[in-house]
Amino acid sequence: MQPIRKLDDLVSHVRTLGRRFRVAVACGQDPNTVGAVARAVELGFAAVVLLGDATRIAATCAAEGVAAGRFEIVDIPDEKAATREAVRLVRGGEADVLMKGLVGTDAFLRAVMDRERGLLAPGAVMSYVCAIEVPRYPRLLFVTDPAVLPFPDTAQKLAMVRYAVAMAHRFGIDCPRVALVSAVEKPSEHFPSHADYAVVCKAAERGQLGACTVDGPLDVFLACDPASVEIKGVPTPIGGQADVLVFPTIEACNAFYKGLMLFAGGELGGIIQGTTRPVVVMSRSESARSKLYCIALACLMA
Amino acid sequence: MPITKLDQMIEHLKSRPAKRVVAAYANDSHTIGALAGAMDAGIVEATLVGDQDVIARVCQQESIDVSRFTIVHEPNEMAAVYKAVELINTGAGQIIMKGLCSTDKYMKGLLDKEKGLMDPGAILSHVTVIENPRYHKLIICGDVAVLPAPELKEKIAIVNYMIAVAKALGIETPKVAIIAATEQVSFKMQACVDAAIISKMAERGQIKGALVDGPQAVDVAVDRESAETKGVKNPVAGDADCLLFPDIEAGNVFYKTNTKLAGCELAAMVVGARCPAILSSRGDSTKTKLYSIALAALTAK
Repeated sequence: MQPIRKLDDLVSHVRTLGRRFRVAVACGQDPNTVGAVARAVELGFAAVVLLGDATRIAATCAAEGVAAGRFEIVDIPDEKAATREAVRLVRGGEADVLMKGLVGTDAFLRAVMDRERGLLAPGAVMSYVCAIEVPRYPRLLFVTDPAVLPFPDTAQKLAMVRYAVAMAHRFGIDCPRVALVSAVEKPSEHFPSHADYAVVCKAAERGQLGACTVDGPLDVFLACDPASVEIKGVPTPIGGQADVLVFPTIEACNAFYKGLMLFAGGELGGIIQGTTRPVVVMSRSESARSKLYCIALACLMA
Repeated sequence: MPITKLDQMIEHLKSRPAKRVVAAYANDSHTIGALAGAMDAGIVEATLVGDQDVIARVCQQESIDVSRFTIVHEPNEMAAVYKAVELINTGAGQIIMKGLCSTDKYMKGLLDKEKGLMDPGAILSHVTVIENPRYHKLIICGDVAVLPAPELKEKIAIVNYMIAVAKALGIETPKVAIIAATEQVSFKMQACVDAAIISKMAERGQIKGALVDGPQAVDVAVDRESAETKGVKNPVAGDADCLLFPDIEAGNVFYKTNTKLAGCELAAMVVGARCPAILSSRGDSTKTKLYSIALAALTAK
């Protein structure tokens, strides 16, 4: 397949897959969530189950001008019970994607991570990957982890790379270029991330991470700007054309992606990875387009 | 042409001005005999620091002409070590060698902060060069004798010492394999983590003048077929000049297996001081003693 280079193309691609992915929404009763899933239903790639307070769901649909009849509605007014049931549907294969509605992120993730009834295999690393489109970069950037792992250790960084690479493969990028981001490109013992990065690079070189090209530490310029690579003369196989950016901490990654959203006209689609099925957790401040992209991305990865 | 046999070091040295070895507490036949042999081969000159009466007696017993040596009389063991160190520091010799003094006293002299042979921050280590008839060239390895459990900074120093030795042996771009038990990267093994870091540093030009790769198991490092079978495709695999061992046990077992079970000869020296330091043991073969002196002479400034 041709690589997907735009998030709108992601949506078109998911629509061509010719099926409606079943999305179970825990406490899907707020305008934010209802609006996003309504669009996915309208575009024909999602079938949505809203679990929550049916009265509130009806009221929200009415207020948003969305026909409640387009959704399957399961009336569970209790927040925890609704979340548990949504997780159960996904765990049992009755739904392909789990999505968070009007429930606290902590409570939601607790249900996802529940050992007996959740969506996380024992020992699995849960992480967040988002695909970002910015007008000034000619390809999508898969960025991790802006939301879940605060200070990823070596095993978690290896998992982050695997998830991002798997996602890039689904986008038709056969051998994604993965840049391990730091402030400098020369490994130094003063940066705790650098030892991990060296391990990730060598593991990739030995074929332990699948089809991908990995290099790091690299700064964002060397990762994403061919001119900087030339000026600095650093021989890196990434060549300023990174598909994937792995960040050392949540602060660095979070600041990067929010900077792109705010100042560079970025849009994104993001999901939780490491779970047995994709999990969508969106922030209310995301644009309507980005919300749709999140759902489309989850369906692609389902 | 790079040197591929230890004997070639001798030939190489004959065409150069001879360096001077200063032997610390050279009161024994092993030290004096080894130096006389090296002088016969025409590769060094020697100063013996020790008890001049004892030295004269040993020479007589061994039928060695004592007048070939410069003798510096110092009958006290520790004082003789310090005197030898001083001679190096004042430029009266380019190589130091342990005589009858204990290894502890010898090392104490080298490492002494004020009077010794160490630049501030320098790391003392050990490099061994093995000639194994089943390998197509010399194997340079470290550290099999001095640093018990080198941490990253020390491993980098050892790599640089091995590179310097390789260059002295005429190898233009030495290939350095960082040894572990496997070529697969497991972050739970420190040897793998350090290997990955050192490889990356070399890639970024922080270690210069060599091709570096690791982790590699020994078979991958020195056997092309194993490297191919295991899918390690880089110029170092199967063709390594230098092997960095993760700890002294691994390195020590490797070199002793080579000498005792595979009949190999070797040359070895302590590195990291201002001059090469010879530390041969009485158990070493005559050839090994000669080769060690030759190796020191080749690398001496």
